[in-house]
Amino acid sequence: MEDYDYLFKIVLIGNAGVGKTCLVRRFTQGLFPPGQGATIGVDFMIKTVEIKGVKVKLQIWDTAGQERFRSITQSYYRSANALILTYDITCEDSFRCLPEWLREIEQYANNQVVTILVGNKIDLAEKREVHRQRAEEFAEAHSMLYLETSAKESDNVEKLFLDLACVLIREAKQNTLDNNESAPMPGEGKNINYLSCCNIN
Amino acid sequence: MDEVGSPAFRRSSAPASSSIRTETIESLTDLEDLERVYAQLCAEEVEVQKELKVLSGQQSTIETKMLALQRIGPNLQLIEGDATQLSGMINFTCSLAENVSSKVRQLDLTKKRLYQAIQRADDILDLKFCTDGVQTALRNNDYEQAAAHIHRYLSLDQSVIELSRQGGESTAVDASLALLQEAEVNLKALVTKRLEEAVATGDLPQVERFFKILPLLGLHEQGLAQFAKYLCSQLASKAEENLLLAMGSDLSDRRAPLIFADTLTLLLEGIARIIETHQPIVETYYGPGRLYTLLTHLQKECDAQAQKVVEKFIQQRDYCNKFQVVQSSMMRGVSVEKIEPRELDPVLCEVTLMNSRAELYLRFLKRRISADFEVADATATDSVIQEHQQCLERLLKDCKLSCTIQELIGYYIPMEEYYMRETVNKAVTMDTAEVGQLSSSMVDDVFYIVKKCISRALTSGNSDCVCAMINHAISVLETDFREVLVTKLRAGYPASTLQDLHRGVTSAVSLMQSSLQQGKIQSLGIESQEQAKTAYLVTLNNVQVCSENISTLKKNLESDCAKLFSQLAGSEHAQAKIDSCLSDLVNTSSKLKDLLQEGLQELSNTAIKPQVKPWISSFLSIAHNIEEEEFSEYEVNDPWVQQLVVQLEQLMAEFKAALSPIIYDTLTSLMTSLVAMELEKTIFKCTFSRLGGLQFDKELRSLVAYLSSVTSWTIRDKFARLTQIATILNLERVSEILDYWGPNSGPLTWRLTPAEVRQVLALRVDFRSEDIKRLRL
Repeated sequence: MEDYDYLFKIVLIGNAGVGKTCLVRRFTQGLFPPGQGATIGVDFMIKTVEIKGVKVKLQIWDTAGQERFRSITQSYYRSANALILTYDITCEDSFRCLPEWLREIEQYANNQVVTILVGNKIDLAEKREVHRQRAEEFAEAHSMLYLETSAKESDNVEKLFLDLACVLIREAKQNTLDNNESAPMPGEGKNINYLSCCNIN
Repeated sequence: MDEVGSPAFRRSSAPASSSIRTETIESLTDLEDLERVYAQLCAEEVEVQKELKVLSGQQSTIETKMLALQRIGPNLQLIEGDATQLSGMINFTCSLAENVSSKVRQLDLTKKRLYQAIQRADDILDLKFCTDGVQTALRNNDYEQAAAHIHRYLSLDQSVIELSRQGGESTAVDASLALLQEAEVNLKALVTKRLEEAVATGDLPQVERFFKILPLLGLHEQGLAQFAKYLCSQLASKAEENLLLAMGSDLSDRRAPLIFADTLTLLLEGIARIIETHQPIVETYYGPGRLYTLLTHLQKECDAQAQKVVEKFIQQRDYCNKFQVVQSSMMRGVSVEKIEPRELDPVLCEVTLMNSRAELYLRFLKRRISADFEVADATATDSVIQEHQQCLERLLKDCKLSCTIQELIGYYIPMEEYYMRETVNKAVTMDTAEVGQLSSSMVDDVFYIVKKCISRALTSGNSDCVCAMINHAISVLETDFREVLVTKLRAGYPASTLQDLHRGVTSAVSLMQSSLQQGKIQSLGIESQEQAKTAYLVTLNNVQVCSENISTLKKNLESDCAKLFSQLAGSEHAQAKIDSCLSDLVNTSSKLKDLLQEGLQELSNTAIKPQVKPWISSFLSIAHNIEEEEFSEYEVNDPWVQQLVVQLEQLMAEFKAALSPIIYDTLTSLMTSLVAMELEKTIFKCTFSRLGGLQFDKELRSLVAYLSSVTSWTIRDKFARLTQIATILNLERVSEILDYWGPNSGPLTWRLTPAEVRQVLALRVDFRSEDIKRLRL
């Protein structure tokens, strides 16, 4: 038996160069590698965290932002429990692309996916191009959580992943609860979810 | 004597005078005090006298020692004289030695200067020799010789030359230096020009000749650049030739569908061959660590040529257009224009082949350059090694070839996904179930297709591509294909109303109810009902085979991937990614297992429960409140259980033939549970005499024996309650229960609650309710 209570898949998406790899590196290894090259395809890291005594294994898929890898990254959306949609607060362009990313999520992800919008690089406050309020409004309009981070200064990075893990645990508990409610009476066998429309007794 | 005695005297007198002073004595007036002081003084006197006696006892020993000392006196004077003499000699020797060593030091310095002078003279001679040599060599067009002279001049110590200039013979040296410098500039220009000419005309011997000369003149970079230029031009002409050949090749040729992959292969192999052939020259004349520089030049040409091949490929194969059609038909679902998946087959193969060739080539480059750097960096610092490593990574990652190939794969994945989806759909529509086969054709077809697609992705050698296809395959199996199975199961297993009529056991009410629910199916003929039944059972088998196939697929892919990626450097990461994607297949398999369980439950509910229920309730019509006579008659003519066994056998025979053994076993287990549950319900509606209890015990035993024989699961557990009920019904007296209950239960675990035990006891007509109430359980 593996040593965790929950396993969640988290996929990071967003334009090239917004700092997805740095966020993951900061969280999983505590590093900020300067001059990080563009990610090729998809990178994969694992970190197990403990939240209130619950062991959570986070499987983090760090995707390449460049267009030519899009078809590879899209294949990961469906099985993701959470998506971290990242943009760069010093780059208006990366913010303007968000609707396009939301369309992708709509198309490929499952509908229970938890999406969080992350504005990265707040250490470069003097170069900020996207105001916090604007991003917050955008996130709210698309029912996403919102957080601003700095992978360089390690601001909010732990919080980002731990908050996400909390939300996912809550949802998972909710789901098992729902399942238990519809659980069969003892002795009657399992209830039929898919075939119930033609159940004859 | 005095001298020796005096310290002793002082020692003894000092405390005497300090302990009691004369003045203190004089000042004393009190008699008591006086007496005390007197006594003290007396005691001191005795002490002093004792000390004196000891000292006078030592007198004779001291005198003997003094005599001995006086005898040594003259000898000491002799020693003093000898010591003075020795000191004089040492002083003399010391000054002599210092004298000698200073002369040696002077000699040493002279020798060093002499050597320097000789070195300088040699250098000047060399310079002169070089000057003359260069000029003669240049005159004779002997560039190798000239370059050798310049190389010698360049390797002379610059400071020595500077020094020579300041010396007396400066004019002579200056002149030759000027000449040499001029010759150097001339030679550099000349050789570079010659090399350029040779490169331009493609004259290999000349290229190689001047290529070897340039490093002697310190022109490593230029030499490599020019040489690379020559190699590039060779490469370009060969590549163009190959591409032309490819374009004009016969379409019916066996390799025609792979012609662009082959052309790309030729190009990359060509470069690999160039590296193989020319690496030794570069290493000999330029030293190790230069391969990287050469290859950065070559890679540019490689990128350009590969680009041309890929462009032609895209154009000829209509690659982008195909992609767009696929893209739009996947987006909107139904599209006007649709590509037959079979049409994509060759182009998908070609792309993966191209990718695998490119990956192979890039790995080759990495291996070669790293090895070359390793030799050069044997003594280098970590930072240099790291920098070289980064340069190499950048070259491989940022080269156009990588990008182009990644783009091709980017288009490939959706097309392969489309191919997989469409072909799976086709397999589903063409599904046929052969008579005598448990499962239908689509199951194996679908897995053949999925395996084919992932294996094709695997041939690309790109782990991200493999992962993406595994993800898509899971998506197809878990959503599209599972939906197909769910829909088929949802059609349901038709209730056997006609059979019920034959058996004449179903009441009119229940018949009406089921016909209302099953209105649609009942309107179908008997034949189509049979079809629906078969379809349902086949689907159950299908679900089970699928779940097994998924596990097999996972295992096969695991070993395939391990084989493919194990040889590559840094493959652990790729392997971990693939393993993670593959592990999702386990979830898919277990989802199908859940579906199977649900399907079986449904089957049990529709096909088994309605039949078994009346059979069991017929137990009610058999009296168990019986006497000896009826019991013996039951012995001869079994009233109930044998018929039940026959009916169950008949009912299950149909399923036994049509279901795979594993599913059939599960279904039997469900049936067994059902029988146990229904029988228990029925029992509580009956009344029993002592012999009736015995009769039931017999009936239960034969039923359990039969059911045990038809299933591999243990059924004892399911019948535990019933067996205990039979035990209770078999009791002689009410109180006998206490022999089995509580502390007397022994290995038996009661499944019945005390209330239930009372309830069962009450079924016996001969047990008085007061006795039952009085029981303490």
